[in-house]
Amino acid sequence: MTTTPPPGSLLVARDLRKVYGPTTALDGAGFSIHPGEVVAVMGPSGSGKSTLLHCLAGIVTPDSGSIMYDGRELTEMSDGERSALRRSEFGFVFQFGQLVPELTCVENVALPMRLNGTPRKEAERAALTWMERLEVDDVRGKRPGEVSGGQGQRVAVARALVTGPRLLFADEPTGALDSLNGERVMELLTDAARSSNAAVVLVTHEARVAAYSDREIVVRDGRSRDMERVV
Amino acid sequence: MSAAQWARDLGMGLRFAFAGGREGWTRALLTAVGVGLGVALLLLTTALPGALAERDRRGEARLNFTYGEQIERAGDTLVTADTDTEFGGRDIRGRLLEPEGDKAPVPPGLREFPARGDMVVSPALKELLGSGDGALLRERLPYDIVGTIGEQGLIGSQELAYYAGAEGLADRVGDGMVGRIDSFGDPNPTEEEMDPVLMLLILVVFVVLLMPVAVFIAAAVRFGGERRDRRLAALRLVGSDGGMTRRIAAGEALGGALLGLVFGTGFFLAGREFAASVEVFRISVFPSYLNPSPLLALLVAVAVPGAAVLVTLLTLRGVVIEPLGVVRTARPARRRLWWRLLFPLAGVIMLVPMLGQGRENGEFNGYLVTGGVICLLVGVTALLPWFVETVVARLGTGSVSWQLAVRRLQLSSGTAARMVNGIAVAVAGAIALQMLFAGVEDDYTKETGFDVTLAQMQVRVPDGTEIAAATTRLEKTEGVRKVYPLSEGYFADRPYTEEPQRNAQLTVGDCATLREVAKLPSCADGDVFAVRGGEYDTDTPSLSRPGQKLYAEVSSSGEELTEVAWTVPEALKEADSVEDPTGTKRGGFLLTPGAMPDDLAGAVSGQLYLAIDDSVPHAREHVRNTAAAIDPLSSPMTWSATERTERFDSIRTGLFVGAAAVLALIGASLLVSQLEQLRERRKLLSALVAFGTRRRTLSLSVLWQTAVPIGLGLLLASVVGITLGAVLLRMTSTPVGVDWASVLQMTGIGAGVVLVVTLLSMPPLLRMMRPDGLRTE
Repeated sequence: MTTTPPPGSLLVARDLRKVYGPTTALDGAGFSIHPGEVVAVMGPSGSGKSTLLHCLAGIVTPDSGSIMYDGRELTEMSDGERSALRRSEFGFVFQFGQLVPELTCVENVALPMRLNGTPRKEAERAALTWMERLEVDDVRGKRPGEVSGGQGQRVAVARALVTGPRLLFADEPTGALDSLNGERVMELLTDAARSSNAAVVLVTHEARVAAYSDREIVVRDGRSRDMERVV
Repeated sequence: MSAAQWARDLGMGLRFAFAGGREGWTRALLTAVGVGLGVALLLLTTALPGALAERDRRGEARLNFTYGEQIERAGDTLVTADTDTEFGGRDIRGRLLEPEGDKAPVPPGLREFPARGDMVVSPALKELLGSGDGALLRERLPYDIVGTIGEQGLIGSQELAYYAGAEGLADRVGDGMVGRIDSFGDPNPTEEEMDPVLMLLILVVFVVLLMPVAVFIAAAVRFGGERRDRRLAALRLVGSDGGMTRRIAAGEALGGALLGLVFGTGFFLAGREFAASVEVFRISVFPSYLNPSPLLALLVAVAVPGAAVLVTLLTLRGVVIEPLGVVRTARPARRRLWWRLLFPLAGVIMLVPMLGQGRENGEFNGYLVTGGVICLLVGVTALLPWFVETVVARLGTGSVSWQLAVRRLQLSSGTAARMVNGIAVAVAGAIALQMLFAGVEDDYTKETGFDVTLAQMQVRVPDGTEIAAATTRLEKTEGVRKVYPLSEGYFADRPYTEEPQRNAQLTVGDCATLREVAKLPSCADGDVFAVRGGEYDTDTPSLSRPGQKLYAEVSSSGEELTEVAWTVPEALKEADSVEDPTGTKRGGFLLTPGAMPDDLAGAVSGQLYLAIDDSVPHAREHVRNTAAAIDPLSSPMTWSATERTERFDSIRTGLFVGAAAVLALIGASLLVSQLEQLRERRKLLSALVAFGTRRRTLSLSVLWQTAVPIGLGLLLASVVGITLGAVLLRMTSTPVGVDWASVLQMTGIGAGVVLVVTLLSMPPLLRMMRPDGLRTE
């Protein structure tokens, strides 16, 4: 995507390239998102959509290209600065939740706040509020191994939102769930994000999930392009 | 279930053991190394009793037993003289030989008698004499080396021994050092049991060494567990039932164990050859008699692979292998304390009946000792999971790293406890052994009681030696500050042929020397003193009436003994006994040289007490050389307690090295387990990093995760170690004292292991925290 991004964008990426050995994961991809906007990144397996998400989130540094977040160039930040940014302004949801198995659900949700230095009780209070909103407060004391996949994924969404991030990255958040649970998670995720004015980058290959977004872009062979929404 | 089915499943597992890629091979190799170490140790254990028995047998076979009825000179007699010495802290067995006929018995290990001025030496002594270090010793043994003593004449490969040819010994038969024999060996052999204390030490050492090896095997078989789990799940998917899957897993472990048997045999054979070149605590062995008992070796060959299979099955106990993956049982049932207490309790019950038996009261019941020690040490392994679980459950939440570690431990405290069990057992055993060694060593040191501030050496010269000349030679010896010459003998109330009833000690010396043994009112040459207050001296007052006739036994030549009469002089003075250089208060009569009739010279033997200047290098060796030059039969003795200390230090060092080696082995187990755990959590670690977790937080959590259980393990180990040490000390009737230095030392090593394991876990941890782990999402 090489066109000029719309003004007021929260995050803008231009001409991203990333190569893993002989494989070119990104080959000039671009991206932009506004505050409160939900953008779905779609594409077939191996197209580079997860790599794009990792670059946008500052998890992986692209080989070349630019990523501007709120006026700051992500590619020029140190690892520590990017980590701090992820802790304070970004949130993450992965396909399998990736909850810490030994912590209880409420402790898992409180974890990002605690990493930011919030005292335990205060963090757990905030965590519980988010768990109530995501309808999983009844499993607060259980460990991830003791809850269902849908509940676990909702706990992961609560964990991603608890710090009040401005940008939420969700990588196939319903990939491991059945359609009913998947839809419920998406409803709660997008509602919660919108209510807190958080932008969402939603990586998925399912049109049904992408339907929750405001805009879709497609990644193919490491390149991205905007898609017309067919209503 | 048919045997064929079992064999088929185990066989499939065996194939997987070596066909599972790099991880499979690594696991098989680690298991093999662990099993190999265990097998080698077990083989050594089974070989040791036989080796020690053979050493005893050889020691007895070469004995020149000269006590009892005197043997008349004949064609088959041999006169021997004991000329044992020491050099650089090592004992040297020396014998002078003078055959009296063609049929004189040749000592074991020799083909013929060395001629006068020649000697036959052990290989180790030959090496020492040929080296630069042995130059001083060469002076002391001025004989030509004409051969080496064969293995049958030596008890160990590193033993220092010699047989030298001599002449004129027959005239000195009857002197303590010289005797006549017609055969070697003890004429009345007694069924010599192994020193019970030594046996106890050996048993404890091996129990202590084997347990950590078992823990290492348990860790090794878990290596690459994730891939194995996936393989087992795949097997379930294609129709293998639970039992079959477990048998296949057991077969995989069996592969490593069988390879371990080969490794172990190799380790043992290599160690057996190596054993010939080392000396541990002054004991060396020959490979030829370091042979495991065949039956016990067979038992090892069957039991070790069996144990490896059992360990695998036990580690799979909390695991449900389903066709779609492996599920580890979430929260184990709460551990109960009561049955765990049974082990240490049983151990104490087994050991308590042997309390206070000591060395003199003979044997400890080997089975009870082994059983008791094993129960106590197993008690540590049984109590530790409960202890860790109980304590960890009560740990509060702190920082995120602390919380992550504590929660992890709460979820699977058993794994952590199992890992540190090895350390706990090793440390408990090592503390107990250190206490035992320290206690036993103290026991020996206390017995000496010499006043080493005055004199540090004593040289006894044979009867008839010119004391004045000997004194002069010793005074001129390098490193000798002062010589206190005393001649000692006994007076009796009637001739020895008439069975005397009372006797008193006779001591001859100049005034300066006599003042070291008694408080003299005044002294001039020619004075005679009767001493009051001597230890065990009741007869002197009744024998010290002026004019009274007393008798002394004089050995002139050979076995002939004559009596010499001496009259208590009118001018007898009285003196009070004081502690002499040997630490005893002597009684009897003190004679200055002027009061000593010539005919009494044969009634006394010379004792020279020497003050040594330790700043002079090899001062004691110079004294021994001079003593040997005065007469090869003179016997120098070192009084200084430093030798005991040195020996104790070497035992401490040995234990320290042994414990450190065991802890290193356990550290390796911990590392394997830690890496395995990190590998299993690769995705989670990447996810944690994705939402900004600091590397420091995760690194600290790894540190806490290792440090908390090890800390608890060391605490429990210290308690059990001190208890076991106290019980063992009571068994040997030794006062109980805690060797705090060793407790600190051992806990220090444990802490070191925590740090090293954490540090070594860091590179893989940091690697696994890279975002690459998310690529599979």
